[in-house]
Amino acid sequence: MTTAPSRDRSGLLILAGQVLVILLVLAAWYFASGTLVKKFILSDPISVAQTIAAWIRDGSLWQHLVVTLQTLLFGYGIGAVCGIAAGLAFGVFPRVDSVVSPYIVAIYALPKIALLPLFVILLGIGIASKVALVAVVVFFILLFSTRDGVRDVDADLGAVLRLMGAGQMEINRKVLIPATLPWVYTGLRVATGYALTTTVVGEALSSNRGLGFLIESSSVRFDSAGVFAAIVVVVALSFLITGVLGRFEAASSRWRS
Amino acid sequence: MTRNVIELEHVSKEFDARGVKVLALDTIDLAVAPEEFVALVGPSGCGKSTVLNLVAGLLPPTSGAVRYDGAPVQGANRRVGYMTQKDTLLPWRTVEDNIGIALELKCRAVPARERRERVQAMMDFVGLTGFARHYPGELSGGMRKRAALARMLIYEPETFLLDEPFGALDAQLKLIMHQELLRMTRARRLTVVFVTHDLAEAITLADRVAVFTARPGKIRAVRQIPFGRERDAVHLRFLPEFGALHEELWDELKDEVGKGTET
Amino acid sequence: MRVNRGCSEGNCLSERTTWLLRAILGLALIAAWEAFGAFTGGTWTSKPSLIAVRLVQWAQRDLAWHVATTLQEIVVGLAIGVPLGIALGIVLGRAPITAKILRPLILTLNSIPVVALAPLLIMWFGLGLQPKIVLVALASFLLLFFNTFAGAQAVDRDMISALELMGASARERFQKAVLPGCTTWIMGGLRNALPYALIGATVGEMMLARNGLGYLISNAAGQFDMAGIYAALVVLMILGIIVNELANRLEGWLLRWRPVAAPAWSNM
Repeated sequence: MTTAPSRDRSGLLILAGQVLVILLVLAAWYFASGTLVKKFILSDPISVAQTIAAWIRDGSLWQHLVVTLQTLLFGYGIGAVCGIAAGLAFGVFPRVDSVVSPYIVAIYALPKIALLPLFVILLGIGIASKVALVAVVVFFILLFSTRDGVRDVDADLGAVLRLMGAGQMEINRKVLIPATLPWVYTGLRVATGYALTTTVVGEALSSNRGLGFLIESSSVRFDSAGVFAAIVVVVALSFLITGVLGRFEAASSRWRS
Repeated sequence: MTRNVIELEHVSKEFDARGVKVLALDTIDLAVAPEEFVALVGPSGCGKSTVLNLVAGLLPPTSGAVRYDGAPVQGANRRVGYMTQKDTLLPWRTVEDNIGIALELKCRAVPARERRERVQAMMDFVGLTGFARHYPGELSGGMRKRAALARMLIYEPETFLLDEPFGALDAQLKLIMHQELLRMTRARRLTVVFVTHDLAEAITLADRVAVFTARPGKIRAVRQIPFGRERDAVHLRFLPEFGALHEELWDELKDEVGKGTET
Repeated sequence: MRVNRGCSEGNCLSERTTWLLRAILGLALIAAWEAFGAFTGGTWTSKPSLIAVRLVQWAQRDLAWHVATTLQEIVVGLAIGVPLGIALGIVLGRAPITAKILRPLILTLNSIPVVALAPLLIMWFGLGLQPKIVLVALASFLLLFFNTFAGAQAVDRDMISALELMGASARERFQKAVLPGCTTWIMGGLRNALPYALIGATVGEMMLARNGLGYLISNAAGQFDMAGIYAALVVLMILGIIVNELANRLEGWLLRWRPVAAPAWSNM
């Protein structure tokens, strides 16, 4: 038998437990470095925080963050638009889809990161090669999700409108697009994670700017504090993006329980 | 005087759904004698299923006492067979593996050959012959219900708790199942608590019918059914006494139906 | 109700026509590529003929060795990461209070792009197979852990109750309901772990290696050997197709009781 006050109390206890766990992990990290593990391998929370602070002070954090964000936004935007368009096309023309689909699946099976050296040769070491890579990754995700969304639309819904006298364009507007939208949102949500990862990894592999570059350059200099600092920034960015996207999606998909 | 199999004494049950308290049952008193067939009828959401959950020991009462064979029910009550409204077949097992699962358990330890035979017999009984290797996901709703029924019947518990078991069946199969259920419960001297919203079904099967009010559920009326054990389930409804009983109980029930709420 | 909009009322092509059109499309693409390469001199795009030549050259030399290296990293990494992830996922998943307390930590770990840790692992383990194996093991561990963890909490309580009423002991309930109930989730994790392992191995090799398909790509890039880059991409693509097909088959077999097919690209 639960009553309101005790439920709050158990919630509070859990919150306390969560905070405790995080503090314990940080403390273990702090004490392990220098004693159990050599300092340069693992670094420690304090050094990492100091590194981040130093980066903020000398502005380098913003510089690299901006580059990563630019890459992310451009690549994501291009990939999403192209992916949705292609997905709609394949969904609406299933015959084309069935012919082309083995080739699409084959290219999808390739680890897209392997395309980076090619893109660097074609587009240079600057932001363009990474944007192209992210765009390719996002393209496929949105292609599949949009196409599946179009396929999933209940044919009966369209039939009902057709009997009322609606034309094809009206059916597209009133049935197809709204019904496909949740699938598109799912694809957009999934793609953000992959886009960020691809951006960071691409920058780590060949770039001279961006958060990924920070990871790689720190590791080459055996600056483990720098590596962890850059990773922390990436994780924070990931949380931020997920949070923003979550709000947006919740607000516009209320009819879907 | 023999002990009652099931006793609910001043039982109330309150649920807490995200801070909002819902009183599902309000001071229920119900006793089920050995070999008695009791039907609980009432509108949706009136707590009939909650009564079964209490007897099965899956939920504790908020107040009052629930007793089985004289002893308070504490935790899962293994002496009852429970067929829930929502079928809980294991989707990754075939139909025959689902039906036979109770016989796999250590507490029963039935050897494999005997298990297979009993499973086959049970499938024939409920009309699922030939579907042994199918998965629940491939069956219709009615067929899944029959599989769930077979799963319960196969290990022959002494008391049945049935929650709308025949709701999804077509009319002919329902009549046949009514007959079979009556025959089986008489032959094996079983005690049954049967939940339904179908008044005619309740009168056909039961020795006693309890009518529940809308939420919070109280027992509004209890009526002894005079037809005796050797009744003919198929032709019973054409007897004038049946019609009179139906009128009488419908009078009680119809006031509550309008107030019914889906849980 | 899901209705495949495409294949109704004769909207679908016959199987033969489809394959014919696919073959024509493939040949047309290769021909166009070859023509484009001949026209522009092949500096950026190379030509299918040159690529084929390079592939044959490699096959005669040490292509098998590089493929084997990559495969080894994948297999060993998965062999370590997958069982650990499943085990920990079940253990933590069934302890609801522990699960809730650990949740923020787990969410944070989930947000770290594991593949981006490759430089760190190379820093720790140096040259050789270890950093890639650790990367693959780490990625698959996390993937399987999260999926199993979620699955262990999601098992239908009513099913467990039904078994309890029949007389199942706690161990039997676990064996017959909880464990099988998790497999959907575990499969989701496994299905994604395979391709992810390939990605991890490739990234590690591209970053620092002397063997493996990723190394072949970055080596060819370093020498501006365009035909070599495309050749390595082809091999990697074939490997990727095999890995995906394996993952699909595995999922299809283990989940043959599932009533509705999941979308082909779905992940957790």
